[in-house]
Amino acid sequence: MSTVNQTPAAQSDALKAQIRDFILENLAHAKGITSFTDDESLMESGVIDSLGIFRLVSFLEEDLKVRVSDEEINAETLKSVDSIEQLVLSKRK
Amino acid sequence: MAYILQQLLTKSAARYPEKTAVWARGRSITYRELDQRSNQLAHLLRQRGIKKGDRVGLYFPKCVESVISMLGVVKAGAVYVPLDPQAPADRVGYMIGNCGIRALITKEEKRRGLDQATLASLDFCVMTDEAAKSGNGTGVIPWTMLADCPAAHAPEVVLTETDLAYILYTSGSTGRPKGVMLSHQNALTFIEWCAATFEISSEDRLSNHAPLHFDLSVFDIYNALEAGATVYLITEDLNLFPAKLASFIESEGITVWYSVPSALTLLLLHANLKAENLALLRLILFAGEVFPMKYLRQLADLLPHVELQNLYGPTETNVCTYYEVERDRLASLEKLPIGIACENTEVFAVNDQDEIVTQPGGSGELYVRGPAVTYGYWADPEKTMKMVVPNRFQPNFDEKLYRTGDLVQLGEDGNYYFLGRRDSMIKSRGYRIELGEIESALLGHPAVKEAVAIAIPDDVVSNRIVAVVAAHDGTAVKPSELQQHCATRIPKYMIPELIEFRESLPKTSTGKVDRVQLTEDSVRGANQPAEVVPQ
Repeated sequence: MSTVNQTPAAQSDALKAQIRDFILENLAHAKGITSFTDDESLMESGVIDSLGIFRLVSFLEEDLKVRVSDEEINAETLKSVDSIEQLVLSKRK
Repeated sequence: MAYILQQLLTKSAARYPEKTAVWARGRSITYRELDQRSNQLAHLLRQRGIKKGDRVGLYFPKCVESVISMLGVVKAGAVYVPLDPQAPADRVGYMIGNCGIRALITKEEKRRGLDQATLASLDFCVMTDEAAKSGNGTGVIPWTMLADCPAAHAPEVVLTETDLAYILYTSGSTGRPKGVMLSHQNALTFIEWCAATFEISSEDRLSNHAPLHFDLSVFDIYNALEAGATVYLITEDLNLFPAKLASFIESEGITVWYSVPSALTLLLLHANLKAENLALLRLILFAGEVFPMKYLRQLADLLPHVELQNLYGPTETNVCTYYEVERDRLASLEKLPIGIACENTEVFAVNDQDEIVTQPGGSGELYVRGPAVTYGYWADPEKTMKMVVPNRFQPNFDEKLYRTGDLVQLGEDGNYYFLGRRDSMIKSRGYRIELGEIESALLGHPAVKEAVAIAIPDDVVSNRIVAVVAAHDGTAVKPSELQQHCATRIPKYMIPELIEFRESLPKTSTGKVDRVQLTEDSVRGANQPAEVVPQ
């Protein structure tokens, strides 16, 4: 997905959509879950389990090109689509 | 010596009344409190009509009240049934009906999820959440009611070691889970062997990683109680995050850890474990699946001071063999042995000629005999007769053997080695999964004509699950729809992560679905996407 010539807000929306789509297709569907909100706790709703976390981290590292440390793999940072987006944005600054 | 489980608590409560017995989610209770609370719960259950042998379900996420409930139920003379709080309500409803659960200990959000027919079948629910007040429905009893019950002694109930203590549900091949019945004697055979073999003391701090409906938890809870030690229940907020979990093990000074190997592999790969931070850890037990040698070697190198034990056994026997990892053999061992029989348990392999294997190199199905062996499956004499069979190698008196369905080889070193399964049961993250149960869930969808579930071997979790499905002519259905359908029938860890559609499934010459072909195709196909753990 190209983010060239987009406003920061549009870039942010695109990033969020990319994160949401990855989680939906690769993690949520495999748990039989078809929808979640951007601020919903993905752990509480069972979208992300102990292995899902590392698929998510691989996605962040390989597709979004942000390096995630072991310490950053925690309940606050990876709680929701919103918090994951924040992590990515903070890394890109 | 204890002959019923609650005696372990009574003894430790008398000896260590002020010691912490259980810690969970930042809360803890002492032995005195655990003893008194479980006495009160037992009285409450009896007052509400629970009798000896009645089944009481425990249906809420792990917390201090979980252990109070387990003990309270057995003190009432009843049988507890831990129900997976993550399982779909339909599956939980099935278990409640299957073993005739009369009362539930639960939380409001869990109770609310059950269907009306299931709720109507219950005499009452005891609510562990503070917020729950009576008046949420008939037969809803708030936890605060315990305060009105006698705390000093448990109710008078005559029990022997042959009475049932708990029922654990495992995946069933015909589409529904089956309830493994375990007596006090079954449990104590294992607990007492562990206590002696692993020298658990009142100074130990045990982790409880496994869910309570999983038999690994029996060691964590009851061996802590047996020794007057403390058990730390590890909940999802810790379990999901290896680095956080490692610092928890360090800060709480956990001395004994027991889990499935995949949990240890995740710690190894993502928690930057250091021996100097885990100096108090003295013993790691693992069970439930095969530990890949690659990761076991890394773990052994990283924690040279820790004793490593591979425990083996299906829920029907708890643990029946064990192998203490010999570090000097690790480099040359190709495969980890499952070891030799625990004390007070006999195991042997029976070959295709129906003879007991006595020579090294011989292989066959592993049979188990002794007081650890289950009575069988609740309300399922047919399945019970298939697996818990008369001992045909001993004609003098009636005795049962458990057929594990596991193929093993007797090694030159005297240890048994696991070779594989006789049937289509697989393991993933230590969970027992019958592929037939997944297929039955898929076939329950109106669009599905044929379905096969396939296990793809995986380094970290043992197996990942995919499915190949043929839909009825002219019906369009998406993989996510089928996964969503499965989620209403089977636990999340059983839902296929990928579903492939074909017009029809390949058949063998006898007209059966060609599983071998499909498995080969899927293994080949699945080796590209979804690299689960980054190296």
